[in-house]
Amino acid sequence: MTEPVASGGSYDIDEVRRKYVGFETAEARGRYPVEYDPIRRHCHMVDDNNPLFLDPEYARTTTRGAVLCPPSGWLALYFASLGPWPAVFEPLFPIVPTPGKRIVNMSQEVEWTSRIRVGDHLSVRRRIADVFKKAVSLDPEAVWIVAEATVTNQRDETVCVIRNTMLTHRTPEEQEAGARSQEPV
Amino acid sequence: MNRRRPYWEDIAEGDEIEGFSLDITSRRLALQVSGSQDWYPVHFDPAFARKAGHPDVFVNTGFLQAALVRVITDWMGDEGFLKRLRFEMRRQQRPGDTMVCKGKVTTRYERDGETLVDLDVWAENEREGVTTPGTATVILPRRPQPKYARGKGRIDGLTVVCY
Repeated sequence: MTEPVASGGSYDIDEVRRKYVGFETAEARGRYPVEYDPIRRHCHMVDDNNPLFLDPEYARTTTRGAVLCPPSGWLALYFASLGPWPAVFEPLFPIVPTPGKRIVNMSQEVEWTSRIRVGDHLSVRRRIADVFKKAVSLDPEAVWIVAEATVTNQRDETVCVIRNTMLTHRTPEEQEAGARSQEPV
Repeated sequence: MNRRRPYWEDIAEGDEIEGFSLDITSRRLALQVSGSQDWYPVHFDPAFARKAGHPDVFVNTGFLQAALVRVITDWMGDEGFLKRLRFEMRRQQRPGDTMVCKGKVTTRYERDGETLVDLDVWAENEREGVTTPGTATVILPRRPQPKYARGKGRIDGLTVVCY
């Protein structure tokens, strides 16, 4: 599914939609279980000192019984597929051909059905829910991709579903080059 | 030892959630890369960001989500459960900004046996106003009902008998 649909400067959004909307990736499993230290680094980037996410002794005194992963879809995806090593950069835009390779996330929705504890082992399946063109100030030919990720634990229970909308765009240089290539010789 | 636990009954629509602020400094951007493991250069390399047409680097989705989650989890305590969070990256938080994150209770209701609270949560700064609006739904525990022992006693001058 990685062959380019766009070629020769043309981009057929209808063909891309027909070919890629509904496409599902194979299930990916995190290399490591959910661990303390990535949670600590994640919390510390925003000065989150919640002991339920950081302190095993404290967590044992609570009804949760163990350190929890903060309910961040980003962190769930990290443990399910991306990190910590080797880094597997598998964003969706190389799967969906787009005129530009720069990306900006526009929105994210996460629905949680259970908590994630240290020691859980997460997996993820992704599905491309939608692809469409919508102009933005960065690029009038921006292509938007809506992707859904379902994260499960080692008991095959769904822990969350993440719906992410991102746009892909060209740099100003690429837009100028594209405009020049369209000029009559 | 559990931290503050607001019960569902304690919450009123319109309640404000205090939140916190973070200065977006180069140190904070380094923490962002470490904490999110997002190595896409638009979030730390100004030349890369400018080549794409952005005025400067800007913080990533993982950072913003972590901040909004902190607003919610600090407020709901250990017994709360974040059921849903949706947020939009409408404007950017860039170096030099002070990002303020906070929230507000919009609705308190019961559905399918769950005691729920809907929130508005957001990040803002002085330069752009609200940059990252969001909504969330949280399950909060009910206040435990008092348990009465069998026997006879007096409450407010009345004799009460529990069988």
